Amino acid sequence: VNNRIVRLRDFDPLLLLAALGLVTLGMLLIYSGSLSQSGKPAMSDFSHPVVRQAAFAIIGLGLALVFARVDYRVLGSLSYVLYVASLAALAAVLIIGEATHGSRRWIDVGGTPVQPSEIAKLVVVLTLAKYFSDHQETIGSLRVVLTSLVIAALPAALVFAQPDLGSALIFAAIWLGMVTVAGAQWKHLLGIIGAAVVAVPFAFIALVTDYQRERVALWLDPERDPLGAGFQAVQAQIGIGSGGLWGKGLTHGTQTQLDYLRTQTTDYVFSVLAEEIGFVGAVVLFLLVAILLWRALRVAELSRDLLGRLVATGLVIYVLLQTFINVAVNVGLMPVTGIPLPFVSQGGSSLITLFIGLGILQSILIRHRPFSFRDFYS
Amino acid sequence: MMRLPDNRRRWRSQSQELRPGELFQRRFLLLKALIVVLFGVLVLQLARMQIVDYASYHTRAENNRLRTIPVLPARGLVYDRNGEQLVSNQPIFSAAVVPADVPHDQLLPVVAGLAEITGIPPNEIASDIENAKKKDPFTPLVVKPNIDDQTAFQLRERQSSLPGVQVLVESVRRYADGALVSDVLGFVGRIDEEEYADLKDDGYLLNDRLGKAGVEYSYESVLRGIAGYRIAEVDAAGKEVNALQTVDPRPAGNLVLSIDADLQRHVTQYLQAAMGSSQNASAIVMDVRTGELLSLVSLPAYDNNILTEPIDEARLDALFRDPAKPMVNHAIAEVNPPGSTFKMVTGTAALQEGVATTSTTITSHGSISVQDEYTPGRVWVMRDWAVLGTMDFYHGLAMSSDVYFYYLSGGYYQNGETLFDGLGATRLARYARDYGLGTPTGIDLPGEAAGNVPDPSWKEETVGEVWTLGDTYNFGIGQGYLTVTPLQLARITAAIANGGDLLTPRVAKQVEDDQGNVLQAFQTKVARKLSVSADNLTIMREAMRQAVVYGPARTGASSQVTIGGKTGTAEFGEQLANGRYVYSHAWYTGFAPYDNPEIAVVVFLEKGVGATNGGPVAKQIFDYYFQRQHLAEGEQP
Repeated sequence: VNNRIVRLRDFDPLLLLAALGLVTLGMLLIYSGSLSQSGKPAMSDFSHPVVRQAAFAIIGLGLALVFARVDYRVLGSLSYVLYVASLAALAAVLIIGEATHGSRRWIDVGGTPVQPSEIAKLVVVLTLAKYFSDHQETIGSLRVVLTSLVIAALPAALVFAQPDLGSALIFAAIWLGMVTVAGAQWKHLLGIIGAAVVAVPFAFIALVTDYQRERVALWLDPERDPLGAGFQAVQAQIGIGSGGLWGKGLTHGTQTQLDYLRTQTTDYVFSVLAEEIGFVGAVVLFLLVAILLWRALRVAELSRDLLGRLVATGLVIYVLLQTFINVAVNVGLMPVTGIPLPFVSQGGSSLITLFIGLGILQSILIRHRPFSFRDFYS
Repeated sequence: MMRLPDNRRRWRSQSQELRPGELFQRRFLLLKALIVVLFGVLVLQLARMQIVDYASYHTRAENNRLRTIPVLPARGLVYDRNGEQLVSNQPIFSAAVVPADVPHDQLLPVVAGLAEITGIPPNEIASDIENAKKKDPFTPLVVKPNIDDQTAFQLRERQSSLPGVQVLVESVRRYADGALVSDVLGFVGRIDEEEYADLKDDGYLLNDRLGKAGVEYSYESVLRGIAGYRIAEVDAAGKEVNALQTVDPRPAGNLVLSIDADLQRHVTQYLQAAMGSSQNASAIVMDVRTGELLSLVSLPAYDNNILTEPIDEARLDALFRDPAKPMVNHAIAEVNPPGSTFKMVTGTAALQEGVATTSTTITSHGSISVQDEYTPGRVWVMRDWAVLGTMDFYHGLAMSSDVYFYYLSGGYYQNGETLFDGLGATRLARYARDYGLGTPTGIDLPGEAAGNVPDPSWKEETVGEVWTLGDTYNFGIGQGYLTVTPLQLARITAAIANGGDLLTPRVAKQVEDDQGNVLQAFQTKVARKLSVSADNLTIMREAMRQAVVYGPARTGASSQVTIGGKTGTAEFGEQLANGRYVYSHAWYTGFAPYDNPEIAVVVFLEKGVGATNGGPVAKQIFDYYFQRQHLAEGEQP
């Protein structure tokens, strides 16, 4: 391992500010979205969703600083251990997990629901980055590509079994993005993608549950039963469309406040945003995410080694895809699947994972310069 | 210094560690392109929804949020002419569900919960909800009407766990006197599919009620009032959050009938006592000056509370199967030959046409012989009810001589020689129609019959036979093909009594608001002036007075007042060897006071003889009416 100097001056405040901007926006939306919930606790109570979200953000921020101090290469070395632990946690969800909305996604840890699939996404990013950086000479071989596929496929399969089709897609996207950037040969990539495309119809029949099939059917035509199962999708779209350019005003969205939306502080928080602060609000959200991605890509470009570059790339894909799928579901471009909107949706697991990711990015950033005499003179 | 970045990059790109940098940069570009594409897709979709299609989403959000909830005024009450309340509104609880507010995934628990509480089979509830969803998902669907207080309480308690379920407070009618005025009042029932299809544009709801018979039907628009509405913001569970706009309903009017409930009670009692073996009977008391009906009795009557929720199915079934058809208003819907009461029409027509004068004398030998027009040598014998001797016009009517009226209607012929010129069937039919026969009277009640006025062309068309002189004779005495309703006869008597105004009868007097202010007073409607002169009507009244003095109609003579009257005994059923029939209908009609007529009375008994059975009932009615009047006048000095 090359010794490199740690330069705290390279810490990127913009990256952190963009994230904090998203968290703030999220807390406003969670506040508005939880107004109509019956039996909600007072704002002074710790169990109020906004208070909880703020607490998770503070914890996340602390963890981000801790992980910025830790050398990401140490994390890389630990990644295989973390990977096995994640698989164990995902398996545990299937056995002892709490079921909500027809799938098991949570385990209860001391009264706090923890969603291991979120942490597993970060761990898979680290593990793939470590594996590729250890095998960068042989990345052109099919064996390495297939091995990396297995690394991503194991947690994806466990998540798929919950069932959580959206997160399984995230794992697939993270793998594809990272293996592409790592330098795999096009023929290998296209071959695997081709095989996947061929397999999809079979997988749809063999693996996809009725619950997921119904969701796909409703996505294709949510209006076929607008008072029934398509209710959620249709009502979210009505909320978004009726928000118009400027929105109905925070806490004044009729769809949101009159309970037409469900999970409006988590998976459907974007509907609240689009209804209450309109197209302009959505553009602000996209700009904040774009700043975040731009600064994260800068980390990948500056990184001195493949490990750092791939970790940053993986995190970019993670945030990008998570954002895209969440919004696409809200606006009816994808079948309903429960994916949180990064930094915005209510939920500790996602928020803390993302902040740890931010910390790792900063860790890469402050370690990107080689030892230089100039540093002594400046 | 200016070139330092370039130098640095060259130095870095040459480094061993960044050897795959070129490849990395190229693939990195792909990732950047992906970011642009994905966000581009989202922005485009959002722009389509929020800017291009904004208006339609906005409308849908408003439709979601706002619900127009109809507010029905309480149904108008009905009073008799003296202010006696005949009907009241009684609130009942009904278990209901708003189909639109039952989330798809909650349908089963909601149906199960409703089934458990109401005892209605769950599959029935589920299919009703599915049906209602297609028609009008926002109107509460009544699952079970008239649930008891405890069930209503149970349902309210569980409302939060059964989205869409409601306890409706509905209003049903309670008729104070049941059978007494049911033929006039009718009843209110739930709207059926056909009625809903017709009336939904008029603001009727899927779970609405409306008048189905009687004045509840004919004055529906008065009694219903005009529904108001409330535009309210509702949440996804259909719960009202706040009312944004309220348009108050226009209160219904209260209907004051011309019916005198006290008189109705007595008339019913007299008629009931006289019914004997009659399947049905009716009696009418009509104000000859206004056309208002003071009493309209049809027996057997039915209790209209049986048809009001909660419906007693067993009693309802018995009602429908009763051969006497209690639900038919026999006073306006039943047609029978009027018998000798029709001599009022034949007589006045003959006077008006100059066929007879008061001094026209005709002798009854107990029968009249008629040569058959088509079979030479065959002779028909038309009987009188007795050998009545020689009579002038007054005697002829007073004694109700059939022979006298055979002459007036058909004339008299012997050996091809005309000895007396009669009216002829066509002229008689014209007068019958002039008196309003053959068409409904236009009373403000549904279900009225028209009756039949025959004439030669009618017989040829309908019966397919040629009209004979015998038909004219029968027509002249109110037998044969002629049929009338008791109401039509009352109208004729009233027209003769009032000097020639053929009135449109009615049972409604006025519409009042809750404070008793008159909103609408129904005016006397003269359908037409009779073509019989006032003088000739005066002659008829005198003849009817004489009938009460010495004719068969004397059974109707009142101890309280001088009346004019006429009996009728219309034979029907099997003809016996002596030329008589097994059965006859009993009719009696009269008016009083003779000098200044106020009321006309008609009594009809399905089986009986006019003088024997009808007259005494009429007498009781006249006696009671004028005795009560005298008492009231005595109290007011």
